[in-house]
Amino acid sequence: MHSHLKISLAALCAMLIFASFNVCAELVAIPVLKTRVTDLTQTLTTEQQSQLEAKLTTFEQQKGSQIAVLIVPTTHPEDIAQYSIRVTDAWKLGRKKQDDGILILVAKNDHKMRIEVGRGLEGAIPDLYAKRIIAENIAPLFKQGDMAGGINAGVDKVIGLISGENLPPPPKQTGKHSADNSFQNLMMLFFVGSIVCARFLPRQLGRFFNAGATAIIMGVIFWFIAGTLGLAIFAGVMAFIFNMVMPWLFSYSGGVGQYTNGGGFGGGSGSSNDSFSGGGGGFSGGGASGDW
Amino acid sequence: MQKIYLKLLTVLLLLNLTGCGYNHFQSLDEEAKASWSEVLNQYQRRADLVPNLVNVVKGYAEHEKEVLTQVADARSKVGSMQVTADVLNDPEAFAKFQAAQGQLTSALSRLMAVSENYPNLKADQGFRDLQAQLEGTENRITVARNRYIETIKVYNVAVRSFPENLTAMMFGYKTKPSFTVENEKAISVAPTVDFSNKK
Repeated sequence: MHSHLKISLAALCAMLIFASFNVCAELVAIPVLKTRVTDLTQTLTTEQQSQLEAKLTTFEQQKGSQIAVLIVPTTHPEDIAQYSIRVTDAWKLGRKKQDDGILILVAKNDHKMRIEVGRGLEGAIPDLYAKRIIAENIAPLFKQGDMAGGINAGVDKVIGLISGENLPPPPKQTGKHSADNSFQNLMMLFFVGSIVCARFLPRQLGRFFNAGATAIIMGVIFWFIAGTLGLAIFAGVMAFIFNMVMPWLFSYSGGVGQYTNGGGFGGGSGSSNDSFSGGGGGFSGGGASGDW
Repeated sequence: MQKIYLKLLTVLLLLNLTGCGYNHFQSLDEEAKASWSEVLNQYQRRADLVPNLVNVVKGYAEHEKEVLTQVADARSKVGSMQVTADVLNDPEAFAKFQAAQGQLTSALSRLMAVSENYPNLKADQGFRDLQAQLEGTENRITVARNRYIETIKVYNVAVRSFPENLTAMMFGYKTKPSFTVENEKAISVAPTVDFSNKK
């Protein structure tokens, strides 16, 4: 039974790996996000790249929005819009709640480009404006062969539009820790459940059996809600310990208030100084494509 | 004695792998509903664009009555449908909804193709703006549909696989319909290229 399971699992894994490789071979791979400007075609000089990078970094520090530039040779066989949404899904530009990310994507050999606008910026940069930026600011320069100039003009225009938008200021450098909500709920349920169970179980069971019964009840409840037996057993054991020491706790300190969870489940907080990463912003296909 | 331990271990492992995940269902169901709302939202956005678009095209290409009527008809059909989240639990209504939206999609693309013949229309700033908006909206629809398909896939797998299906049965969660390719037949037939009546 056990070995059968193992073999079939291994086979499944192998098949999955094979399948995912197969898919990747057909579509253009999404580059790893390391810097704000990713040039896979060596179109921009190092100097141009670092200048653009500096501009985008300053803007993010001032306004909080993340803008990234990606230049690829081609997006074939996908449409540029399809590729672009895959990239933004992977990169998650922009802050989590604000969704204020922008991707400027250029497919050099296809002569196609796209400005992908994050959900939170669709008001500041409607599709129409994105289309105009492409047609009026970027495309004329691209036609003259001035790739760096075109991208810079587009970036300036985008920055101008976002600057007029009322966005919350960028977070201070101190990392913020927001505790995971569902985790807190489970903790709450755990403490309240343990106390209630212990109260309603008959006293004459004795502390040991009382705690044991509570542990079993809590384990079953957690198994039902969280769905994994590992967590259920853990909750049961914790409930047992908790109930064993509860009388002692109550006699020495005010209550269970000291057990409040201090977090530690912090979400990714945008970018740090050395390497660039998306802040969790969402995209839903806003923006415009164009060619030159 | 050892055999019992082995059996116990296997059972524990199995239970650990699966559980019954009531909460899992709650979040999957909510996600499915949310992604469906997004689809509706984007279709609504398109429907709102159509009257303006028709008006602008009418000004330049009045004798393209047939296409314009088709668009207007498809638009009113879409508009008259009462679509709520309940459609998700009714495959027939879902298919109807998809057919109506598909009709509007093809009518609009015909309108866009026809408008290529009118240079004055193409030069009109209002038309170009609407065209950009329509393009953006169609792209949003594609994205929303793809996300819906992905969400529904996860949900349906959960509803149908053991032992979560027991929980699903207990609380009345059924599989939800997904989008299919509208012109399945048209795609599978190779296009014929005919140069004979080229002017």
